[in-house]
Amino acid sequence: MVQTPIKPDTAPKIPPSQHEFAEVIHRLEAGGAMLPDTPENLMQIIGIYKAYAVPMDFYWRDLLYIAEEVFLNPFPFFKYFLPQKYLDLPNHYAGDTADLRIWRGIATAHPELLEFMSKGETIKMPKLFHHLWHDRVNMEFAEACMQAMLWHRKMYAGVNRFDDFLNTEEYRQNCDRAIKAYFKGNPVMLGMYKLFPEAFVEQCRMMSYYSNLGLFWEIMAPVFFEMSDIYDEGGFKGVPDAMNFLINGIFAISGRPIYHRVNIRGEWFDLVPKDKGFMWLYDAALPYVEAVFYRTAPFRGTKSYNAQAGQVPSEQADFHYGILYADVFPVGTAGIPPTQLMQDMLHFLPQYLLDYYHQHCRGEDDMLIQLGITFQRSMYCVTSAVIQALRAALLYPLDDENPEHLMANRKFFEAQMDRFKRPEARLRDIQNRDYR
Amino acid sequence: MLSALILIPAIGAALVGLWPGQPNSALLKKVSLAVASVISLWTLYLFAQVDVNAIGAQMTEYLPWVPQLGLSYSLGVDGLSLPLVGLTALLAWIAICSSDRDLQRPRLYYSMILLAIAGINGAFLAQNLLLFILFYELELIPFYLLIAIWGSEQKRSYAATKFLIYTAISGVLVLAGFLGLTWLSGSTSFDISQIDIRNLSESTQLICLLLLVVGFGIKIPLVPLHTWLPDAYVESSPATTVLLGGVLAKLGTYGLLRYGLGLLPDAWGTIAPGLALVGVVSVMYGALTAIAQKDIKRMVAYSSIGHMGYIIVAAAALNPLSLLGSVAQMVSHGLILAILFYLVGVIEKKVGTRDLDKLNGLMSPIRGLPLTSGLLVLAGMASAGIPGMVGFVAEYMVFQGSFTTYPVISLLCILASGLTAVYFVILLNRTCFGRLDNATAYYPAVRFDEHLPGLILTGLIVWLGIQPSWLVKWIEPTTDAMIAAIPTVNQPVAIAPTKPAMKAPAID
Repeated sequence: MVQTPIKPDTAPKIPPSQHEFAEVIHRLEAGGAMLPDTPENLMQIIGIYKAYAVPMDFYWRDLLYIAEEVFLNPFPFFKYFLPQKYLDLPNHYAGDTADLRIWRGIATAHPELLEFMSKGETIKMPKLFHHLWHDRVNMEFAEACMQAMLWHRKMYAGVNRFDDFLNTEEYRQNCDRAIKAYFKGNPVMLGMYKLFPEAFVEQCRMMSYYSNLGLFWEIMAPVFFEMSDIYDEGGFKGVPDAMNFLINGIFAISGRPIYHRVNIRGEWFDLVPKDKGFMWLYDAALPYVEAVFYRTAPFRGTKSYNAQAGQVPSEQADFHYGILYADVFPVGTAGIPPTQLMQDMLHFLPQYLLDYYHQHCRGEDDMLIQLGITFQRSMYCVTSAVIQALRAALLYPLDDENPEHLMANRKFFEAQMDRFKRPEARLRDIQNRDYR
Repeated sequence: MLSALILIPAIGAALVGLWPGQPNSALLKKVSLAVASVISLWTLYLFAQVDVNAIGAQMTEYLPWVPQLGLSYSLGVDGLSLPLVGLTALLAWIAICSSDRDLQRPRLYYSMILLAIAGINGAFLAQNLLLFILFYELELIPFYLLIAIWGSEQKRSYAATKFLIYTAISGVLVLAGFLGLTWLSGSTSFDISQIDIRNLSESTQLICLLLLVVGFGIKIPLVPLHTWLPDAYVESSPATTVLLGGVLAKLGTYGLLRYGLGLLPDAWGTIAPGLALVGVVSVMYGALTAIAQKDIKRMVAYSSIGHMGYIIVAAAALNPLSLLGSVAQMVSHGLILAILFYLVGVIEKKVGTRDLDKLNGLMSPIRGLPLTSGLLVLAGMASAGIPGMVGFVAEYMVFQGSFTTYPVISLLCILASGLTAVYFVILLNRTCFGRLDNATAYYPAVRFDEHLPGLILTGLIVWLGIQPSWLVKWIEPTTDAMIAAIPTVNQPVAIAPTKPAMKAPAID
């Protein structure tokens, strides 16, 4: 009997994983994503990226506006009223003026966003009425994400130096200057600052996280727009292609500076100076993924958690309320599930995704849930990109010849997948195409 | 005029049964719905024509049928039967409306529903004892078939046979009671107006009444004659259950009041304490057993046993308010039970289970059944006697009316009313609230036409709750007259409602 020889280059160099998610791990080892590679999945994630990017274009602009201009306003009633200056603020990664052009489109606010801001779901009316009627972009979602990052500080300690800096004397001095300048001629607030200096500095830290998240999303919006355009042109052949675009993007822009400056009467005050060298990947992207995708908070509208009954972990590190664990039934905020974002995305869905949702479940009636689950799938793809990027940064290439290196990669992937063993994790669900 | 309420459904049954060609289920449903609508409109016309203040049977129709047997085709309507005729017309429409659009053997199904309506209407309107028995027995056949053919897969034959045996025995006992009553009193006719019980000894009256109580007690049913009910209700389709619980069971309470209390008032007074005791046992048994159920339909079925007990307690208390409450409770129970069974049917159809351990989170606004859950909450509140709904009106009259005569029993009934809240809280908490299960929550949406019966019933439950005079004004003259006809009974109610003595100040 003649045995067919196994080609050396195709033979597995390490034994198969025995992990519960062995299939997913093998897919990651082959350069794939946690999300199965199907045309349906690709269509869903790209479509939702586009729908996500439009409100995100508002989020990053308003986050920077709040961090830089609203700052410590004790009555920030109009913080969601984005001034034209910030709508026209050129994105550093889109348009002709880009430092590094990721999206081929324009640098100012997206046209679909401007159209929605003027009309909303109802009719054209003054901004104040849109705001009061809540017929607007749900900026509260962006703030909830920022709060999640602020809540889960010390993410990636050692790597994330931005967060460490917020506790330094230098930062405190920077804050002091900015606070005194901001409240110049306001003895009441200056008196309050004298009485409660920590409260004011903590507010500044929050503003610095506004800036951090704004600068993070300034990049993600053009990345998603570009992915949507590439898909429309037939550019992506599968989910790994989309994920690789994200990984390449992550590395290309990983060094983007993260900073916080405040504009007080025309003068810029640096709270977190650019020259500190804080970077997009380590000081914004990684903390963001950990805090928002995995952890967030068991707060209002999620479900009836009873902290006294031990339903909320005493350690924040044990929090698992992020989109990767989200319940599909919308009830509120950025945690489980991101209802406000889901409603925002509903306004900007591409036609092919609308048609797709109409064919399934309750069609129009439960589109919010269907798109929420699509968003969950897409975030598993983004998380896969982050995991692959971390692997590439910390470990070995996927095509490494050394079995020990491959085993190190395996251990890394298995450790990442351990986080999805929890019963509420949706990794099992997204493997199934009927999970909608 | 009254014959139309029997003839229209009977002709409708024949029309549906003999419809030419191979009509599909949807067409036959539309035809049946049209017939039910005509019955409803005719019933409304009847309500408009009836003299509210008149005592005794109105719009009587009389045709000698078999005079040798004392059987005549004698119909009439009064404050006791009119609300129940109205309830029948409404629930017939609801039952047909809630039937599956694509059920099997639709020709037979809709014929049987309409035939059952004819039988029930005939029994409510009959003014002749034998004619009543004829109609009373007639509706057994359609209900047997409705349970046996369109019931659930598991135990429908068992449930149908059990229902048939029990209710056939009920018919035999009632017939025996009627024969004894008529023959021993020397009457030559079975017409109600011709029965003269003055010739009957006390013991004979007592025996006749006991036969009627046991006979009708099976139909109601009273504990311990109730064991057919949970099986029949649970195994039937939702539409059949609506009719079974909503109107068929009322034939038992109607029969007890019409023929037990109406024809044998003295003997009724003798056994009233015992009846009240049986009633409260039913009330407590129904409530406590309902709490223990895991199947929501069975829970509602047991709750029905409990709430029918109120009718008996109030009827045994023998005063104007309690008797008014007793009849009002028949209507209230019919409406509330119908909506409960209807909504449970919707849940079972959409979710695929009635198991309390599996149901959860149906209030979820997008993937759940939010409106159905909302109506279920409202129906549960109505059943528990929350003010503002018809359940409160009826139960309050029952409790207040019977308190003077049977204070302890009334207090136990009030306690059971609290227990109703307990099992409905269990039902609602597990069914409507909590988290919807991600893995299973792909339920089809409830269409508007599937919501419609629930909305109509809810509207009535709330309307009669805030405007109870629309319910009691038809009943009160008749029940007052029934109490007035009992010479030995002259007891005041606990807090007798009086007309305000104060005069409104004149406005200059």
